[in-house]
Amino acid sequence: MKKQYISIHLLCATLSATSLSASAANSELHIYNWSDYIAQDTVANFEAESGIKVTYDVYDSNEVLEAKLFAGSSGYDLVFPTARPFADRHIKATIYQPLNKAMLTNLANIDPVIYTSLADIDSGNQYLVPYMWGTTGIGYNVDKVKAILGKDMPLDSWRLVFDPAIVAKLAGCGVSLMDDPTEVFVAARAYLGKNTDDFSKTAITEAADVVSAVLPHIRYFHSSQYINDLANGDSCVAHGYSGDILQARDRAAEAKNAVNIAYAVPAEGAVVWTDVMVIPKDAPNAQAAHQFINYMLRPEVIAPVTNFVSYANANSKATALVDEEIRNDPGIYPQQETRNKLLVLKTPSEKEARAMTRAWTRVKTGK
Amino acid sequence: MQNPDQQFPWLSVDEEPIVRIQNISKVFGTVYAADDVNLDIHRGEFFSLLGASGCGKSTLLRILAGFETPTNGRVFIDGQDVTDVPPYERPVNMMFQSYALFPHMSVQDNIGFGLKQVHLPKSERLQRIDEMLALVQIEKLARRKPHQLSGGQKQRVALARALALHPKILLLDEPLGALDKKLREETQFELVNIQERLGITFIIVTHDQEEAMTMSSRIALMHEGRIEQVDPPRRLYEFPATRYAAAFIGQINLFQGHVISQQDDHVLVHSEDTSSNLMVRDSQPLAMNMEVTVAVRPEKLQVMANQDSDQPNRVSGNIVEIAYLGDVSIYHVQLASGKRIKFTQSNVQALAEQPLTWGQQVVLGWAYESCGVLTR
Amino acid sequence: MQLLYQRGRGLIVAIPWLWLALFFVLPFLFALKISLSEPQLAQPPYLDWIRDVDDGLVTIKINFYTYLLLLEDSLYVDALLSSLKVAAISTLLCVLIGYPMAYAIAKAPDNYRLPLLMLIILPFWTSFLIRVYAWVGILKNNGLLNQLLMGIGVIDQPLEILYTPTAIYIGIVYSYLPFLILPLYATLVRLDPILLEAAADLGCRPWKQFMSVTLPLSMPGLIAGSMLVFIPVMGEFVIPDLLGGPSTLMIGKLLWLEFFSNKDWPLASALAAVLLVVLIVPFLVMRHYESRAAQESE
Repeated sequence: MKKQYISIHLLCATLSATSLSASAANSELHIYNWSDYIAQDTVANFEAESGIKVTYDVYDSNEVLEAKLFAGSSGYDLVFPTARPFADRHIKATIYQPLNKAMLTNLANIDPVIYTSLADIDSGNQYLVPYMWGTTGIGYNVDKVKAILGKDMPLDSWRLVFDPAIVAKLAGCGVSLMDDPTEVFVAARAYLGKNTDDFSKTAITEAADVVSAVLPHIRYFHSSQYINDLANGDSCVAHGYSGDILQARDRAAEAKNAVNIAYAVPAEGAVVWTDVMVIPKDAPNAQAAHQFINYMLRPEVIAPVTNFVSYANANSKATALVDEEIRNDPGIYPQQETRNKLLVLKTPSEKEARAMTRAWTRVKTGK
Repeated sequence: MQNPDQQFPWLSVDEEPIVRIQNISKVFGTVYAADDVNLDIHRGEFFSLLGASGCGKSTLLRILAGFETPTNGRVFIDGQDVTDVPPYERPVNMMFQSYALFPHMSVQDNIGFGLKQVHLPKSERLQRIDEMLALVQIEKLARRKPHQLSGGQKQRVALARALALHPKILLLDEPLGALDKKLREETQFELVNIQERLGITFIIVTHDQEEAMTMSSRIALMHEGRIEQVDPPRRLYEFPATRYAAAFIGQINLFQGHVISQQDDHVLVHSEDTSSNLMVRDSQPLAMNMEVTVAVRPEKLQVMANQDSDQPNRVSGNIVEIAYLGDVSIYHVQLASGKRIKFTQSNVQALAEQPLTWGQQVVLGWAYESCGVLTR
Repeated sequence: MQLLYQRGRGLIVAIPWLWLALFFVLPFLFALKISLSEPQLAQPPYLDWIRDVDDGLVTIKINFYTYLLLLEDSLYVDALLSSLKVAAISTLLCVLIGYPMAYAIAKAPDNYRLPLLMLIILPFWTSFLIRVYAWVGILKNNGLLNQLLMGIGVIDQPLEILYTPTAIYIGIVYSYLPFLILPLYATLVRLDPILLEAAADLGCRPWKQFMSVTLPLSMPGLIAGSMLVFIPVMGEFVIPDLLGGPSTLMIGKLLWLEFFSNKDWPLASALAAVLLVVLIVPFLVMRHYESRAAQESE
């Protein structure tokens, strides 16, 4: 569940990649993953070890991946969608193939809590192997926000982006929401203290009204732009992914620009998401895909990835190998108290999802 | 009997010229397109600016129209100094060489364009357009677009458009240049008729001497930005003022020589070309021994019987070439000095007498009043 | 021999038609077909309306509901109107800025024209995406423009330009201006300056000369250029996405949402079909003027 910027070159990629040969030789593996979502040497090491030639393409949004998978014959052997609602839908649409668990000897390394949490969308864990997980919360410029709202105002709350009185004060400094109807509507319902599994027309309207109320004070809706803007001090409060906001924090620290960014999981509840590894039904080389999944399940392979991308992996054996600084960062590996507040997304039906997207478009444009 | 002042307005000192060009110079870079030109053109004239291409005649016309600003000098139209008046405020209209019809307008809209600019009421405008269409006899073409017209038809539309505003002066830049020879000759007379009918002053630029001779009341012959001579066609032909003028208009024989004596009405010039003394009618004062040129048109030369001696000017030589032109023939004769001269003889005459042949020796003579002395 | 020649000619004439059929009509028919089907959660994400039933029977079930939805939900009509508005204003801005530029280049001395045209074309040497993205750096709150304006003391507070409709217009005008200038320049440079002299000679003042001669004669170029701006701007996606705020709803963005976010291929196809119909009208207008111009230049 990551960035969506410059979506256009992905459109072009959509066209070109469909022509990938369906009869790839056994020694070739086509991977399609999020951009910046793997360590720099992970793929090279796999190639050296297995002798398999890897073609590694990247995308910036679940939608782009989804469009390609639904069009069919994507030519990819391994993809990394977000579990809910995407992989859930894809399983229902039967576009994945069940895993051959005999080939996944390292499966036991997976955190059983995370693994079983997927069972409701993937009964018997037939298709999905968890990769990374994170939360969606609020990133903010500590000094500026405290200067505007006062020292006593609690900042771990959705009020920072949804309470019109507060957002109006922060508007000049810059407040952004993600350009993602599901994320925003679920957060808005959490802010209202209402059931976040409800995607009925009324529920969508209630959430939409929350956004409409703060619309004049929102600088933009974007799912990645805030990384730069927070880090540069151009923006004060952003609704965004944990790892992205922590990346902004680190960039600001590196730049020594006196911008101090923090990440908060709102007390009203925040979405926890898991990205998974999965093999499309029409994968030309499922064998190699299994090999790669098993390789990624090794603690010594996945730990450096976490170090590099600032997202927690789903591998309980790997935690000890992760840099101490990252392992102890509550934004990446939240404490139990925080974990209790996390919300697992329910997948809306197709109809509900469309209604949500259209409502979202309407809200954003103020129509 | 007409008053001579009306017939020859340029001879009248009282008449104010409709166009006065005063010390006009126009420099493009380092080239003088007009070099201190002075010219008066009178009401009702059909005036030609004649010259080879690049002589500055078009520049002078464009200065009159207001498209070019002279580097020096003033232009007066009808007594008013218009040197700094923009083209759209001058009481003159121009017919362009390329016709410059507006391709997006019909014939009648082209003709009515100028009338619209002066906000003539619609009914009057339509009436004027009809008059103009009738004048140039293209009533049936009113609704056509320029691309549907032939060259001759375009020429008529251009003329009608330029005349629609009833300008004081009509400027015509090579108006017949794009027409074929036959159509051109017909149109020449038509232009003259229209000019006489409307009484508008026409100033025409042309490189075609025949065209200028046929149509004009007067011709200004231009050369390298200067005016060589301004005269009615007949005078220009009969009495060229300069060697250039003499050579430009028609054919002429030129003999180099120097003045040896001068009487009241004639000069005696000794020419090395003829190895004889030539007697020329002239009354301008000339210095003794002055280098001059004697000019005589080929048709003034007559074949003399050997003993015929009352002509003071006679030369002899051999016929080296004969060009048969139908009505006349041109004979090239080589003199003893090596100089070649031409004479013409009508073929009717040639048949009546003994025909002249190649290599035949002939003696040619001419009257002293049918030649002139050129000092420039 | 004559027959062979005629066949060869027929072949050459057929090529553009073949092109049109292959790359325009055929894809459009595909889209039209999809637009009449039902969405489903499967691969592909729509249910074909012509289906084989077991025993060789074919059922046809056409779904017009999609088109109904386009009318029912004000979102789509709003997006269409908003796109029309953006395209119209952008075209107008391009004309207002581009006409004087094209005119100046056409009137420039011969040896200046080519370099000036090169300056117009030069931006095409970089990727469109990079050029649009660069505007983010210029227009953002602490971007180059605001720094400059605050630096010279014109403003105290940064101007909010990025993510507003203004930014969209800046981006569109910047990106599409050459498409207006080039065809317009081509007609203006062919315009015989003698025609203006003729107009002046007939008493026409400079401004009226422009209005009654230059402007009508440059119409074919102006219209071609305007269409080259208007039509792509109608479906423009990148510029509003990168520079625009959420308040500008455009049909291109909606297409993207329906196709990618909603996987509603029938609706996306229906939207594309409607957009095409809306655009074919100005296209026919352009064709009309083109054929007229061709006639006039004969």
